[in-house]
Amino acid sequence: MIEELTGKFGNEIQGVEADADIPTLTVDVKGTKNLIAWLKEERGFIFLTDLCGIHYPEQENELGVIYHLHNLTANKRLRIKCFVSKKRPQVDSIVSLFAGANWMERETFDFYGIVFTGHPNLTRILNVEYMDYHPLRKEYPLEDATRTDKDDRFFGR
Amino acid sequence: MDLTKEDEKIYSTLNLGPTHPATHGIFQNVLTMNGETIVHAEQTIGYIHRAFEKIAERRPYYQITTLTDRLNYCSSPLNNIGWHLAVEKLLGVETNKRVDYMRIIVMELARIADHLVCNSVIGVDSGALTGFVYLFEEREKIYEIYEDICGARLTTNLGKVGGFDRDFSPEVIAKIRKLMKDLPKVLHQFENLLIRNRIFMDRTINVGGISAERALNYSFTGPCLRAAGVDYDVRVMEPYSSYSDFDFIIPVGQNGDTYDRFCVRQTEMWESIKLINNALENLPEGKFNVEVPAFYMPPKEEVYSRMEPLISHFKMVMGEINVPQKEIYSAVEGANGELGFYVVADGGRAPYRLHFRRPGFIYYQAYPEMITGSMLSDAILTMSSMNIIAGELDA
Amino acid sequence: MSDTNKYNLVEAPEGYSAPGFFATSLDAAVGLARKNSIWPLPFATSCCGIEFMATMGAHYDLGRFGAERLSFSPRQADLLMVMGTIAKKMAPVVQQVYEQMAEPRWVLSVGACASSGGVFDTYSVLQGIDKVVPVDVYVPGCPPRPEQIIEGFMKIQELVGNESLRRRYSPEYKELMKKYGIL
Repeated sequence: MIEELTGKFGNEIQGVEADADIPTLTVDVKGTKNLIAWLKEERGFIFLTDLCGIHYPEQENELGVIYHLHNLTANKRLRIKCFVSKKRPQVDSIVSLFAGANWMERETFDFYGIVFTGHPNLTRILNVEYMDYHPLRKEYPLEDATRTDKDDRFFGR
Repeated sequence: MDLTKEDEKIYSTLNLGPTHPATHGIFQNVLTMNGETIVHAEQTIGYIHRAFEKIAERRPYYQITTLTDRLNYCSSPLNNIGWHLAVEKLLGVETNKRVDYMRIIVMELARIADHLVCNSVIGVDSGALTGFVYLFEEREKIYEIYEDICGARLTTNLGKVGGFDRDFSPEVIAKIRKLMKDLPKVLHQFENLLIRNRIFMDRTINVGGISAERALNYSFTGPCLRAAGVDYDVRVMEPYSSYSDFDFIIPVGQNGDTYDRFCVRQTEMWESIKLINNALENLPEGKFNVEVPAFYMPPKEEVYSRMEPLISHFKMVMGEINVPQKEIYSAVEGANGELGFYVVADGGRAPYRLHFRRPGFIYYQAYPEMITGSMLSDAILTMSSMNIIAGELDA
Repeated sequence: MSDTNKYNLVEAPEGYSAPGFFATSLDAAVGLARKNSIWPLPFATSCCGIEFMATMGAHYDLGRFGAERLSFSPRQADLLMVMGTIAKKMAPVVQQVYEQMAEPRWVLSVGACASSGGVFDTYSVLQGIDKVVPVDVYVPGCPPRPEQIIEGFMKIQELVGNESLRRRYSPEYKELMKKYGIL
């Protein structure tokens, strides 16, 4: 199946890891939605298991979106990754294909700041609305810097 | 759904939550209602966001077990064992049969505990408070079994990567056997109260239904998906922990409504009882855990007397252990559906990225679609039958 | 007819007694009545809430102490039991619920998360509800056993029984409310 994908979408697929626990493709961000739509319509990957974000500060395209798809009848899983830069973190939203992607994309936006174009309601979902930064990026600390009752010396920070 | 200016004049707004007796957990729904019928629902969650995924980037693998406890806290051992299975997949560790069967017993007990809460709460929300009191007494017995195995009642932090801390003592096995003898009687009593009860059936049949296609589009898993008619169960599709040795049925409903969800959970409890009895009868001999040198401290007598255990103890505490640099996705069948762990390991003590695929978060999105057009009391029952646990929603 | 002299339902307060009457201070009598019929508001957010459900169940039975009637409306509740993690998003809601309660009111903070933030020293969790409401009794634990929740409840009963009827007009109370911004 990987050969078929590289044949059809060859110019968008940037990397293939066939020996990971499930086949993993790294795809250019412009071709992701078409690839996922083709997989859903033509190859039976009708179930979106998961959609999450990731941040690799050392790479040039730092922010990534990771999709896990599942073909229930043939019991095959597939992982698709696409990376965008921090300056222009825009990815096409797949809400029109999978209604379940709605909140998953909102969570990814909340944590990483990746903007999903075409999403019906891209607002923060888990954090407070007035939060002005995207907390799961690697440059932000875990703790709330304004707390007064905990002495950082005792907590090893 | 877009509401026009004229609509807003005749519709009223009702705020359901975040603190509300019937929403078990804190999440808010602002309902737009036409009299008693719901026209639109706007959801707000995140009232208990505890940033598990960010915390996990700081904690070593064995300390993340305590975080997984607090995801779906009605069935903590399931989450714990799911996490241990994920780490074992990462490290490439194979467990022996005894560990697998012990894990199956604990996981099915956790599944029974969770379904006891959900079904009794469906009863409470429809006005039948008696079932709650009877079923919670059975939950106390399950808590006693957990205490014997791991020391805690609710947030269990049970077992470790590679198995358990200690073997099942004869008292534990006697308690499990006694519970498996007494539980069917109580479950029968509870069923007789509700399952063919005219009032309960009128309140739950054709309430909050969803079709199989929409459910799959919303990435439903677990009892909610099985009630809609799709027989997807991770224990059967990708067997883990020797589930393939056992014979059990997956109950499937027809309409995806509240009554189907109630019956699917009830049947799953019966199947879990069968599984536990089976596993207990055929419990193989062996050790209760498998050596995972990356994580387990050698016994103290050896640390104090020989050099290599001392060095490995030191390295483990300081965090210089060998974890391969790869990413895995591992899923177990939690009480609410497919609980997945996506771990990206960079060779260090803590994962580089950990993402929990929480079933409750994903299927709660479909709630407005399920309640539009029904009445307020139906909306309350739909919510309790979906078993939304706030810890799993917000993580 | 059973012999009621054998059972002591509650401890009588100090006072003068003689055939036909019993004299004590009004504070003690009202406190005795209040402490044995507290109407709690279970503000259950997470895992501690499930331990509370077990406490209300038949095995541990908080109803024995007079707290059988749970009130989810703050207007009719005496005791706000905050059980579980309070995130920053939820903190204004806790304060609003506390303001809606009528005096006299008490707050029981159940669990490590409600007392001090617990395990979750993160950007999104309020490090203890005493940042937004005044707390009377803290019950630590993660989650505390039902016996501990009952002990916390019994300490609240002590406070309720000994509270002066004029407390809400005292300057210390007014200072306390001003500190939290509650009018």
